[in-house]
Order: sequence, then C-alpha cells, then structure tokens
Amino acid sequence: MSGKLAKLKVKIRNFSLKDMLDFKNLPLRRDKAIAAAEDKDINTSFPINSNAARLHPSVQKMVVSRIIERDGCSARTLVLKKEDNSPAAWFRAGQYVSVKMKIGSSYVTRPYSISSSPKLTKDGRIFITVKENPGGFVADFILTELKEGDSVLVSGPEGNFYHDRLRDSRNVVAVAGGSGITPFLSMAYAIRDGIEDFNLTILFGSRTEKSILFRNELDSITEETDKVRVVHVLSDEEAPLFEHGFITADLIRKYAPSDYSLFICGPEGLYRHMEDVVKELGLPKRLVRREIIGVSGRMVSSVSDTPEESYRLSVIQGPYRYETTASSKETLLVAMERAGILAPAKCRSGECGWCRSKILSGTVCIPPQNDFRRNMDKQTEHIHPCVSFPTSDIVLEVPRGDTPDA
Amino acid sequence: MDLVLPEFDVVVVGAGNAGLMAAIKLLQAGKKVLVVEQHNLPGGCASSYIRGRFEIDPSLHELASVGSTAKPGSIRRMFDELGLDINWVPVKDCFRAVGKYSDGSPMDITIPSGKEELIEVMEKEVPGTRKKMEKLFRLFDEVNAGLAYFSDGTNYNIRYAIKHYSNMLIVGSHSCKIVFKALRLPQKCIDIMSTYWSYLGVDMGRMSFLHYAMMVSSYMTEGAYIPAFTSHELSVALEDKLRSLGGQIWFNCKAMSFLFDNARLSGVRTVYGDIKCKYALANVNEDIVYGRMVPKEIVTPRLRRLSNARKQKYGARMFTVHLALDVSREALGINDYSIFMLGTADSETEYRNIMKGFDSNNFSILVCYNVANPSASPEGTCICSITTFGSPVDWDNLKPEDYAAFKTKCAQKLMTRLKEQTGIDLFGHVEEIAIATPWTFARYLGTPEGCVYGHETADWDDIISRNLQLGKDYPVKGLKPIGAGGPRGDGYSSAYQCGELMAQMVIRELEEMDGTSSEARS
Ligand SMILES: Cc1cc2nc3c(=O)[nH]c(=O)nc-3n(C[C@H](O)[C@H](O)[C@H](O)COP(=O)(O)OP(=O)(O)OC[C@H]3O[C@@H](n4cnc5c(N)ncnc54)[C@H](O)[C@@H]3O)c2cc1C
Ligand code: FES
Repeated sequence: MSGKLAKLKVKIRNFSLKDMLDFKNLPLRRDKAIAAAEDKDINTSFPINSNAARLHPSVQKMVVSRIIERDGCSARTLVLKKEDNSPAAWFRAGQYVSVKMKIGSSYVTRPYSISSSPKLTKDGRIFITVKENPGGFVADFILTELKEGDSVLVSGPEGNFYHDRLRDSRNVVAVAGGSGITPFLSMAYAIRDGIEDFNLTILFGSRTEKSILFRNELDSITEETDKVRVVHVLSDEEAPLFEHGFITADLIRKYAPSDYSLFICGPEGLYRHMEDVVKELGLPKRLVRREIIGVSGRMVSSVSDTPEESYRLSVIQGPYRYETTASSKETLLVAMERAGILAPAKCRSGECGWCRSKILSGTVCIPPQNDFRRNMDKQTEHIHPCVSFPTSDIVLEVPRGDTPDA
Repeated sequence: MDLVLPEFDVVVVGAGNAGLMAAIKLLQAGKKVLVVEQHNLPGGCASSYIRGRFEIDPSLHELASVGSTAKPGSIRRMFDELGLDINWVPVKDCFRAVGKYSDGSPMDITIPSGKEELIEVMEKEVPGTRKKMEKLFRLFDEVNAGLAYFSDGTNYNIRYAIKHYSNMLIVGSHSCKIVFKALRLPQKCIDIMSTYWSYLGVDMGRMSFLHYAMMVSSYMTEGAYIPAFTSHELSVALEDKLRSLGGQIWFNCKAMSFLFDNARLSGVRTVYGDIKCKYALANVNEDIVYGRMVPKEIVTPRLRRLSNARKQKYGARMFTVHLALDVSREALGINDYSIFMLGTADSETEYRNIMKGFDSNNFSILVCYNVANPSASPEGTCICSITTFGSPVDWDNLKPEDYAAFKTKCAQKLMTRLKEQTGIDLFGHVEEIAIATPWTFARYLGTPEGCVYGHETADWDDIISRNLQLGKDYPVKGLKPIGAGGPRGDGYSSAYQCGELMAQMVIRELEEMDGTSSEARS
C-alpha cells in the first residue's frame, strides 16, 4: 500500500488506519441509519405535486351550465362549470383550453380562448365564446346542437398568449378581429379584478355596430377601470364615435402611448393584413405577440393548387394498429379523428407539440408558418400531425390520445 | 379494446436518461423491451421546448465525462459505441464565480477547464497552491481508479483495494470539507473548489469526497460539453436507436402499478392495460415506486425504513428563468458560459439559506448557451438561463392564483441581482421568458416535490455507500428503480451510467433465471 502512496506522493495528514476501517464500515453505518428509522408506510403525498396538479389538470370534466346567445354576432358563449363543483384550474388571462367532444363516431378537440375573468375559476366556472364558422365541423355542432346540461371535457389552461411584466411593456395595444376579442376580454376582466396590472387599449375590428361582440361587457369594464380602453373599428359601416375602415399603422399610432407591446388575435385575414402594419410601425419582434390561429389548407400553396389526393394512412398507437385514408387537403390529425382514432391534440396550430408523432414512412407538407418543431425533430421525421398534410401514403406512430373518460 | 397486449422480457417505465440507456443495453443483449413514458416526449429532464423562434433546454447546463474526440470520456464513448453521431460542443471554461471569499475579500475568478490551466489560474489567485492542487488532482485520479473497481456491480476484495487504492479508502468515508482541510488547502482555494457543490445539491460538509472527485474532477479536467441541438438531441438519438434495435416506446402511456405473482414481478399495469413481463426497470423515484406502485406486502421493512431514514430529503428542486433575448450575448457583455453568483462562499451556510426560502437565498447561476454554441439561437439573439434552488418553504403552500406573480417576482430578483453583481442587464431585451419552478418539474416529471436529483446523496446515504449496498437495496424480485436517485447519483452522465449498470444486472439475473449462465453464452 505504501508503494502506491509513494508513487502518487499523496500523503494526507492526520489520517490513519481508522479511516480505512471507517470506509470498510460504510455499509454498516448505512445499515445502522436505516435500522434506526421507523417501519411505517412510505409517504407519497407532496404539497408541491398536488399544487402542480391543481394548476395543470390533464382534463377537467365540465358541464355546459348556461348558453348565452350573442344575437347579431352568430356566436354563443358557453358557461362551463366543473361537474363536481370544485374550482376550475386557475389560468393566466389570455390562455385557451382545448375542448373535447364526441361528435358522431369522432373524438374531436378545438382550442378556445377563455373569455372570462380568472376569478370565476374559484366557483368552478370558465366561459368560452364560439363564433360561427361556415363549413366548420365543431363550431357548427356547438352553435346548433350543444345544449345546457351537456358534458364536455376541457384541458387545463394552455398557451403563452398572456401579459408578462418581465417581457412586455406596461402598455398593451391589442388588435382584435371577430372572435379574436375573447382573450382580450379575459385580460380586461383580469385588470378590472386586480389580477393583472397593465394598461390595455383594445382596437377591435367588427363589420358593423350590431355585430360587435361583448359590446356591453366591454362598456361596463371601461366604466369600472381606466386601465382598459376600447376603440371600435367598423369595416362595413360608418358611425359616429367609431373608427372606420381597417386597423392601420396610423390608427395604432393615434391611440398608442409612446411605449407599448402589440398583441394580435383574430382570423387569418387579420394576420396577413397586420404583417404590413407591423412592418410599417417598425416594432422589434419582442414587442409583437400573435395568438396562434390553427392551420388551413390555404396556408399551404401546394395543397390549395393541386387536386385532392387520397392516401393510405397506417397508424401505430401503442399496441394498436389502424388503417385508414387521408386526404391531401386535410391534416393527418383530422384524418385520424375522422377514422375515430383518439389522437392527442391541444393547440391544433403546430405550436404546443402535444401531437408530436413519428413518421415511419411517407412524406408530408408542413406550412412554414406552422412549423414549430424542435430542431432535431425536423431531422428525424418527427412531425406535428395537426399541421401536416400528407403527400404520400403514410405510416405514423402516434402517442396515446387523452382518454375521453379519464 | 379486447386486444391481447404483447409480452416482453423487460418493461422500462419512464424514458428518462437512465430508462432510455437501460432499454438500449437490454435490446443489445437480445431482450424484448418495451418503454412506457407518461409524457409525449423522450428524455424526461433531457428535452427542449419551443417559444417563438427559440428552442430552449429545460435543464442541461453541461455534461460531464464527454471528453474530446482525441481523449474521449465515458459518455462520448457510450454514444460512439451506439453509433450515435451527437453534435458535441465544448464549453471552454469551467465557470466564473462572483461573490465574496470566506474572508470577506471580493471574488471574481474564471476557472478554465483542464488540470494544468486550472492549477495555473489557482496559483495566480492564491499564490503557493500549485503543489497542493497537484496533489489534489493526483488524489482524484487514484480515487477514480478505485471507484471504477468498487462500482461495477460485482463483488470487491478489500485486500486488493487496500493494496491498490489505499488513498481512496483513507478518504472514502469523509466529506469534502474534511479532506480539503486535511490536504491543508488554503481557504480561498477551498472556496473556489466548492463552487460546483450545487451541481450535486449537497453542501461540502455532507458531500462525500469520493462523489466530488468523481463528478467534479471530470468537469474540471475533461471539460464539459453540450449537444448543439439542446438535450432533446440526445433523447431523440436514443429514441431512434431504441426503435432501430426493435424496441417499442409508447408515449402518453402512464404505468400505474407493478403486478406480482408469488412475490415475483409478473407485469406492469398501464393505461393501455396489463402488460406481462419478466422484469421491470422503473425510471421513477424510489418513494413513488415503493410507496405507490408496488403492493404493500411486497415492500420489505428495510425499504420502508430506508425511505423513512431519508426523511424525504430530496436533492435540488430547481427554479430556472429561461430567457430568449433579442440582442447578441456580445452586446449584453456576456463572455462566460456560466457565472456562479454566490451568496456566500461557505456552501453549508449557502445551503441553509436556500432552504430557508427565496428571501434569504442569494445564490444563482447564469448560463448563456451562445457562448459555447453560437448557433443556439438566431443571429443577433441569445438564450440565457438563471437557475437557483427552490425550497418547500415557498412552494408548498403557495396558492395557484398567486403562483404567476410569485414566480415573476423571484425571476425579477434574479435578473436584478445579476445586473448588480455583473453589470449584465437583461431587462428590456426579453423576447421570450419561461419560468420553471418546482411545480413545473412536478408537473412534467412527477418526481416528489419536483426534485430532479433524487434523494440527497449525503452522509450515510452518499453514492459510495449506495454502491457498496447494491446487493441489499433491490430486494424486490424482478423490479429495480433506476435514475438520479440511484447508485450513481444525479446528473446526465450519472443517469446514463446508472441505466447501463442496472441493465447489466438485469441481464445477468435474467440469464440466471433462464438457466443459461453468461459463460455458457459467450
Ligand atoms: C389558441 C386558439 C384560441 C381560439 N379561440 C377561439 C375563440 O375564443 N372563439 C372562437 O370562436 N374560435 C376560437 N378559435 C378557433 C376555434 O378553435 C375553431 O378553429 C373554430 O371554432 C372552427 O372550428 P371548426 O371545426 O368549425 O372548423 P375547422 O376545424 O377549421 O374545419 C375543418 C374541416 O375538417 C372537417 N372535419 C374535421 N374533423 C372532421 C371529422 N371528424 N369528421 C368529418 N369532418 C371533419 C370539417 O368538415 C371542415 O371541412 C381559437 C383557436 C386557437 C388556435
Ligand atoms: S396540437 Fe399543438 S402542435 Fe399539434
């Protein structure tokens, strides 16, 4: 032993054979410590874990407790209430939930921004507001078939479209179009209720005065707090006290304070329009936030230009195998839902990554503006089926879908 | 729904670093393997997420034991042997440490990686330490040789060890604090060398010197590395390797419990149904495995006592602010990959302050990925994280409605302190921000209190003692927990090694069960 010591020239003061004995006895020391402990059940309940589960439930069982018709706006507000009357998950004003319903033999999900104040979660309630979508599948079902008392499954709050004081300016100029007002209504409520603290100027584009969503709600909030201000911009009508036309850079400058963040939410057309406006305003990326808006065939030129093709789609999901077909004009997620396959989905915009799946063979087309995949995933044939359009037969391995009756 | 589920030799529950590596090693030995993962992604901690135009790593600061292509370390070799071409990027320096020495004098020192370089810098900062530092590094070498002998899962011979690794045996039962003192390292030197304590989550008074020697000497001498495309790169590479070896991996598939037949594991109950198997590895914290997933009559009194002796003292609960900034790191004046900002150089006091809660916690680490990896984010931008520890004091009783405001307040304090201590001002440049708290880790990983290091590797439960009791710690037939809480401790490298080690043990046991000894095979 001294040979090795000498070779290394490590001589440690004050250490003796006792140290070696101590080392030899390490197992004994551990045995003693263990034997000295109580033989009682292992605790597996931790406040941090139950808090996390309350904040981020995987699913909330809710009932449609009330339906408020939005006359003149072709929209309905659903007041959703927790089935067991417990508090609903707290959320940050601006977040959305993914609502799951069974329509025919299909399980489908759709994201809807929460339009109520976070405060209402305490008595188990959240509001969502759904606008008519001609030719749509779920919106149509919600507007015509859904009744008070029906059950729906709702995800935990999702998304990053909310005000963050370390990132965003204290002043937010919100550009809203149509049902794109929903997250801003929630933000306005949250400001009124003292939950959020920033100044919100909403430039709200509607077609006519009659078709303004939440007119009364917005009016009463602006009466209660001077941190929220609403400017209505009518495209199809000129009326006193209203702005007219489109939301332009000049209009934004007219109402914006010197320092502000721009938040945008609305239909696809609004986003295209706002691209030029943002350029004209010369705002850095940091100060512009857009809510995600899903995907449409229009966003993929190759999809809209070519005639519709039908491909074979084989799905592997855990121990299950499914064979179905997929249209080149629809996403792989829709193809799976049509076939009654329960596939995971939340944002349906390519952004949240919840539907991430592995292509074992085949090719797809992904609109660049919806391609939020991780770098490596792009190199390893991992895709987000909610924004992937097939361009060949496909074999796809898909994570298990969130069970409807979890 | 009446599908008959396939049977497997081994089901691995959890696709974390340990689980993925174990599955691959089992597949390579010809076993039929299924991995079930409750999340929709592989990797556990080793992952990434997208915010706007940025991809952010939720956990990795740096990986130990990678080494250069010329002098590969065990982890690089592990991936090389699997034929996985990882884009390893070197992290040039070990760290910069800013704060005060124990004697109150200001500390601002950048420690380079590489033994010679480090000793050089130390000599400049604390003149007259060269000889002592050289001695310390020789001791590291001997200890690591000894550790390799003790921790391969086979029996050891104490006489052989005395002959070859006497110094390891001498220091083996002692804490870093005692050994550093015995080596008569000047206090300033000890202050600097203590900086890495946080990567193991245990202060120097309770951290085994052997554990320190194993982890820290690798960081310091081999230098650290990161994968170019975040740690998701590692996890996807392993996920794909696993498939190519014929393994299956089921995502969003939670395992609820383990099934037993005559006190021997017979299957795993999952959300898809019961899956029969001969063996199961659980990449799940021990307390969850034995406290929740195994029938009470299977859990031995020693396992219960072990858990209660550990008193639910979990290692590090992380609090991390991830920031994507709209200016380059040069413009922000960030030149170091990692800056440790110390509340105090005394790790025992620091640890106690951290545990008291955020108000008394003055410790944090700034990491800027672009310093090592210029393409970590788009041109003209950079990604930083500021990390500290969370304490149950703050996170146990917080109300969900106060959560966002509290975590934002904590993040603001970290950014403010960064500005005060280093002049680096991130305010006004934040394009994306994500704040991960112990709640976040509890949500995604399901670990107790959102811990990421398993049980503290301290005192009687240090990794050396755990290794010496490998034979005793796994009394349940056909089931072993693996991961950060295991015999290799926390950290990516340790978890991969743990997965490999445990897979080897399982392969041996399975072969014994099948009556074919390993000799007969080879
Ligand atoms: C974050 C976010 C927040 C949102 N918030 C709101 C909001 O607050 N209010 C609001 O009104 N909207 C909101 N939206 C939009 C909303 O989610 C829906 O996109 C909208 O309601 C239209 O859905 P749809 O099903 O009617 O149409 P689509 O889903 O666009 O229709 C797609 C096509 O597929 C067909 N199809 C799909 N599945 C099947 C199937 N299984 N079987 C047969 N055919 C099928 C349909 O016939 C149709 O041709 C939000 C979107 C996002 C991303
Ligand atoms: S559902 Fe969000 S990315 Fe597909």
